[in-house]
Amino acid sequence: MAVFSEAQRAALQAWLLAVADDELVLAHRNSEWTGHAPILEEDIAFANIAQDELGHATLWYGALEALGVDGADRLVFFRPAADFRNAQVVELPKGDWAFTMLRQYLFDVFEAARCERLIDSDYQPLADIAAKIRREEIYHRRHTSAWVRRLGLGTDESQRRLQAALEQLWPYQAQLFRPISNENVLVEAGIVPAAAALQASWTEIVTAELTEAGLTLPSETRAGGAPPRSAHSEHLEVLLADLQLVARSDPEAAW
Amino acid sequence: MPDTQWPRFEVFQQDRAGRPYQNVGSVHAPDAEMALQNARDVFVRRPRCHGLWVVPAESIVTSGLQATPVEGPGRRDGAGAEEYCVFGKTSQRRSMSYVSELGRVTAANPRMALAEGQQKFADETVYAWWVFPVTAVVSSRTEDVESMFAPAEDKDYRMPQQYRVFSEMMALRQDEEDRD
Repeated sequence: MAVFSEAQRAALQAWLLAVADDELVLAHRNSEWTGHAPILEEDIAFANIAQDELGHATLWYGALEALGVDGADRLVFFRPAADFRNAQVVELPKGDWAFTMLRQYLFDVFEAARCERLIDSDYQPLADIAAKIRREEIYHRRHTSAWVRRLGLGTDESQRRLQAALEQLWPYQAQLFRPISNENVLVEAGIVPAAAALQASWTEIVTAELTEAGLTLPSETRAGGAPPRSAHSEHLEVLLADLQLVARSDPEAAW
Repeated sequence: MPDTQWPRFEVFQQDRAGRPYQNVGSVHAPDAEMALQNARDVFVRRPRCHGLWVVPAESIVTSGLQATPVEGPGRRDGAGAEEYCVFGKTSQRRSMSYVSELGRVTAANPRMALAEGQQKFADETVYAWWVFPVTAVVSSRTEDVESMFAPAEDKDYRMPQQYRVFSEMMALRQDEEDRD
């Protein structure tokens, strides 16, 4: 099946762009730790996770290109912030180590849940990408959940910082489960899982693991509900200025 | 100045099933589980790997050529006769690994295990010996291979050859050499 209706093609393009942008922006935020992580070994480990997420973004942008959209280089380096479709949680500044680990952990559980369902996609390119990503997400989750447990059950300070990170991150999570654009035409065709359908298993896993790590789950949700993916905080603009600086300084250069 | 480092773990890598484990370096970590993860990221992100061990450095008995002092724990409280891994450095050539696995012995304590190993593997030329109890090893599991080691195999984008700037630099250098 590679013959899409117009509605399906448009929906799939919007879906892929959102999914790719999440990975790209998160990868960039994570890469900000390179050279600054708490110890050398973790510096290497986390740079590796950042690079993996960047690799995943490349796969999704590649699938987008196969549908006739601009290539990754143009999308990443020459698009204004207003045209990005990442969720806001990934653009927030990297914060402290507890914040970074917890954000990555929550995203890993989300991404793993999506991959589990996506490997059965009726659109083979998506199933192939999910199968590839899934292996790495198993490892990411192992790494970040190990950190979350140690910070949560560690010292008073690590516990306090992790709890503070959770209070800040929690309200942003709902946006990940908001349907992307017109995704129902893709869900009906068996191309992607419904974002909302991932929420139950995600909530079950993170509730159990965070509670086990000694954290108290916040009850607060966001006033006005989850915003659409076209809405961004001021942080994305700053992030992109950094990310796009070199490419924009010489747009014709070949790398 | 107090030592603020986490404990050190020695890392052993097996590149294919059935091959001997080889020491490839060490990592610091708060515990063995994190040590294994750090070892994976530091040492086998790219190379082929089938199995990975971490062993607390403090549980390893080491010795150079005969007549050099033996270093490491002399006994293990509460442990009776048990199985020990014996590793040896068998070549003076430059190598990515230090000692590799020679085999196992059973002994009452680490010093006796070392003596036992030196006798058992007397036919080998060994420049350095390492001995530690099998129970000190924390190992990756067979089911970890797919998530920890397999993805490295098709990551060609991590290689410099994948980038045009690399091949262009090589071509420039070639031009310069041709002119000289």
